[in-house]
Amino acid sequence: MRKIILIFGLFLTVGCFSQNKQILYNFTSVPQSLLTNPGGDVKYNWYFGIPLLSGISANVGSSGFSAYDLFADNGVDFNLKLRNVIFSTTRKDRVGINEQIELFNGGFKIVGDQGDSFLSFGMYQEFDFFSYFPKDIAILALDGNRDYLGKVFNLGDLNVKAEMLSVFHLGFHKNINEKLILGARGKIYSSIYNVNSTNNAGYIYTIPSTQGVYEQMIYSDLQLNTSGIAKYDDSDYDSNVVKDITKKAFLGGNLGLGFDAGLTYYPKKNIQLTASVIDFGFIKHSNEVENLTLKGTYRYEGVLPKFSSGGVPEDGYQEFKDAIPLDTLYTNYTTWRPTKFNTSFQFSFEEEVSEDCNCLHYDDETIYKSAVGAQLFVMSAPRTPLVAFTTYYRRKIFNSLQMKATYTIDSYSYKNVGLGLSSMFGPVNFYILADNLLEYKDVSKANSLSFQLGINVILKNNKK
Amino acid sequence: MMKMRAIRRMISVPILILFLSSCASDLDYNQVNDIKLEPVVVSNLAYFDVQANQFVTGGVEQNVIFATPTVAIFNEKYFTDNLRRVELFFEVNNTIRRNYKIDLVFLDKNNQPVHSTNFIVRAYSGVENLVKKTEIFENTSLDLLKRTTNITFTLTMFSGPQLSESSMGSIKLRSGITAYFILE
Repeated sequence: MRKIILIFGLFLTVGCFSQNKQILYNFTSVPQSLLTNPGGDVKYNWYFGIPLLSGISANVGSSGFSAYDLFADNGVDFNLKLRNVIFSTTRKDRVGINEQIELFNGGFKIVGDQGDSFLSFGMYQEFDFFSYFPKDIAILALDGNRDYLGKVFNLGDLNVKAEMLSVFHLGFHKNINEKLILGARGKIYSSIYNVNSTNNAGYIYTIPSTQGVYEQMIYSDLQLNTSGIAKYDDSDYDSNVVKDITKKAFLGGNLGLGFDAGLTYYPKKNIQLTASVIDFGFIKHSNEVENLTLKGTYRYEGVLPKFSSGGVPEDGYQEFKDAIPLDTLYTNYTTWRPTKFNTSFQFSFEEEVSEDCNCLHYDDETIYKSAVGAQLFVMSAPRTPLVAFTTYYRRKIFNSLQMKATYTIDSYSYKNVGLGLSSMFGPVNFYILADNLLEYKDVSKANSLSFQLGINVILKNNKK
Repeated sequence: MMKMRAIRRMISVPILILFLSSCASDLDYNQVNDIKLEPVVVSNLAYFDVQANQFVTGGVEQNVIFATPTVAIFNEKYFTDNLRRVELFFEVNNTIRRNYKIDLVFLDKNNQPVHSTNFIVRAYSGVENLVKKTEIFENTSLDLLKRTTNITFTLTMFSGPQLSESSMGSIKLRSGITAYFILE
């Protein structure tokens, strides 16, 4: 029991959100921006990421409470803090973690007669955890049902998923004309493990009755799907976790397919519109699948002695266990990746008289020193989509230093200020992007933090 | 060269400011070990509603009837392990014009009694006559209760006006359990 609570607690402390990369999106001096829009307007001849260091990103958060609320070393009894956290959150509050590390990444331009094309490819590892706060179940565990006669506890509050996967991708974009760039990226997902329990329903209620002491109903439609972890349950299994993960990462896991699509459009020279759909895809889980179900309905009346001769004595509890059995199944299942939708509008100004002539191109990064814009982010989630709105200011400080400052409003925070810097030292590109900067004054009280950083080698052809 | 230095400063200064000015309040994750959950769960324990005519077979009164159903709940390890206190609540409502005695004997798996209780129930006289009792189990008595696998319910009817197949009324028992857990 303690172990479960501990694990749960650890999840909560690192506790996020969405996978909004509002600073990286459309920040085209960073090649990784192509992963947020395959139709991004990049101007490189070629680039490659320093293996393992080209793209490191993490996004953690919790909408209901912070690590400080639960673990502050302030002399307040932990159980009191736990109570306060449970009763101040709602079933809509969520905890999430997203982490990505690029193993390799690269791309190159293909010069064509009718506009250039750009090919990019790579592999990254990703971990996702997302859970709504199971409020009613937490109250039951904390207080039991005695003081909640008449309350219907919603078992559908249990809504959690976690996945570790690797992604191989190949993207292509083409400058259709001077105003329009279209791009798409195909992805193969190899799931290392998956835990998914997002379609739950059910309730428990207890109300005073004249029949028995209580009328007590349980309806349960709970299912937990797992893939890639069942064999670790078996104590006889001689596990070599590292070897297993490596094998699964390189297409040995449960496979899936997905695609990204995006565009950049310049209706006017200084006005830019972009849009993208990321991770529209699924994973089919058929290897090492194990599903646990707890399904059934029962009205619990207790022991019902049968005095008439020949009557079989009833034991309500045994009947209850038979009515709502815990079953283990081995049924294949399919999960959908969290699909992200981005769109932006940008207005550029402060036209620059170029030192190195680059004026033939609609290259806002070189022609205009500054830009302001707005972005909208929507991500699919088990219940309702997550939405974030960002305004930003982008500025070229030097030829080799770009800055993007963002202000984001979403359901977690209305004071999310972010800053991104991308620099070029010769051909070496270093970028660091972080949001929720105001929270750094005390990170343990932060509800969310995210960052991305990495090193690439980029070759631009200035003479084209 | 000057420019490179300027750029480096431009990048490093904000990063430094960010990390130097950032701080974290002290957190103590070991507090998880202090966790103590004390849920109180209520549920039904037993229920019967025996009609007056069930005491009559072929026109002959049966003065003693009994049943010994199994009770599996106390054998669940996760239920009993963290149990600290149990309250059993009983309520008997007799609407038959006869006096009764109800005996409950809690038996372990060897059929040895671990607990017993009884109710003297007066004959119905036209007014509701509830017999209520609450029993509390802690420590030793709770340990005994946890060994329960069966309960024998015995209804003994005392002499009084003759019952027939068409006699009205019933003797009803409802019983609830309040279980106090401590999980730490």
